Amino acid sequence: MFVSVVALHIPRFALSIAAGGSRDLLAGPVALAPEPGRPSLVGQPSPAAESGGVCGGMAVGEALARVPGLRLLPPDPVAVQGRWEELLRSLEGTGALVEDGGPGTACFEAGGLRRLHGGTAGVVEAARQAIGRPARFGIGPNRFCAVAAAGQARSRRPVTIEGAAGLAALPVALLAGRERTAHLPEELERLGVATLGALAGLPRVSVAERFGRDGLLAWELARGEDAPLRPRPPGESLEETLALPEAACGPQLQRALELLTGRLLARPERRGRPLRGAVLAASLEGGGSWRRPVTFREPLEDRERMVLALGRQLEELPAPAASLSLAARALGAAGSPDRELFACAAARRAERLRSALGQVRAVAGPAGVVRVLMVDPDSRLPERRAVLAPYER
Amino acid sequence: MSPIDSRLGVPRRVVVLAGSGGRPIEVAGREVVAVRESWLVEDRWWTGEPLRRRYWEVVTVAGDNLVVFRDLVAGGWFSHR
Repeated sequence: MFVSVVALHIPRFALSIAAGGSRDLLAGPVALAPEPGRPSLVGQPSPAAESGGVCGGMAVGEALARVPGLRLLPPDPVAVQGRWEELLRSLEGTGALVEDGGPGTACFEAGGLRRLHGGTAGVVEAARQAIGRPARFGIGPNRFCAVAAAGQARSRRPVTIEGAAGLAALPVALLAGRERTAHLPEELERLGVATLGALAGLPRVSVAERFGRDGLLAWELARGEDAPLRPRPPGESLEETLALPEAACGPQLQRALELLTGRLLARPERRGRPLRGAVLAASLEGGGSWRRPVTFREPLEDRERMVLALGRQLEELPAPAASLSLAARALGAAGSPDRELFACAAARRAERLRSALGQVRAVAGPAGVVRVLMVDPDSRLPERRAVLAPYER
Repeated sequence: MSPIDSRLGVPRRVVVLAGSGGRPIEVAGREVVAVRESWLVEDRWWTGEPLRRRYWEVVTVAGDNLVVFRDLVAGGWFSHR
């Protein structure tokens, strides 16, 4: 059989980051505390907490009742994403085209790398060395098999699942890892369908009739069939960060957002492409962090509209921010898809001005055209009152 | 990181000769003929990096109106303009 997908799985990735990598801490009963502003549910638990009956998504009160000595660690989503991004880039450094499955899980095609690294084992070893930390590796013909294999693997021994036969004995709980099928395991178990083999053995029509399209997807996954990987384009990371001299909130934060948006739009790597989404993140005064991904209704390259869309998220910030960062999630195609047939004079002037600014910026760099942005005009310290921001029209 | 060094009014180190009470006598080699105002700024005292500055607004013999301050935590004189 032609094995082609390698999955990497780092169990409890977010928890280990929140614990600062402390093994002593992780050896005890700990779990991630709820994120500020989110429902009061615990996050990933440590093995000791799990053995006491705590699981991710459980109400805090219930978790503390089950394990009275449970310690809750404040989550740090910004650090988790930052570390995970570093690992993905290291992985891409081996030549792999990586599909990001969220912090702790990633997949890549091994086919084109086997000759480079000397077989599938060589590919796995290269990936292991690139990430530089213990991880579990699974190998399979597609994403679902590989991820299921990684869940069964030990730290230094990759596991291979070659299709439906290898999946048959595994629990249907594995379907919870997929967004569309996450709600099915509980119902399947209630109906007595405990393993993927049992699900795959059911008639397709019956599954479709009972569970609809999501059920059909689960049935196909159980039979070892999955869609091809969708790797992310490497090197497409645009991010701007602003350290705030004193913990900021309200209008100061809004100005900081305007500045970051201007900087992000002025980055030459963008090459005129609009942003389809962005991630707004902040490190909070007094520890912890906050992170909100935002998908725009349509690709944007207009600073004011972006600030309007992102500014609403800042209202949810649970504490004053010590730093604010803005990253582009995905970039659209260059050039506006719809143009007016008869542009008015003002629009033509604006277009000419935009073109002129683009030419100046091409010659002098992003700092070629700037404007003064009053960040905190009432500050007692002159250096905190104004900044230079890229001029965008 | 942005290539634009964006903050305006960043303090620059300046040579100041001070007299009794820390009052500037000479700024960058120019004699101070008048002190228009003096004030103290204390900030971030709740953090590990407190900020304490004694500001002086002075007029030099050349007619310059300058704002200088002494960093009372790390020492040294700085100018804003």
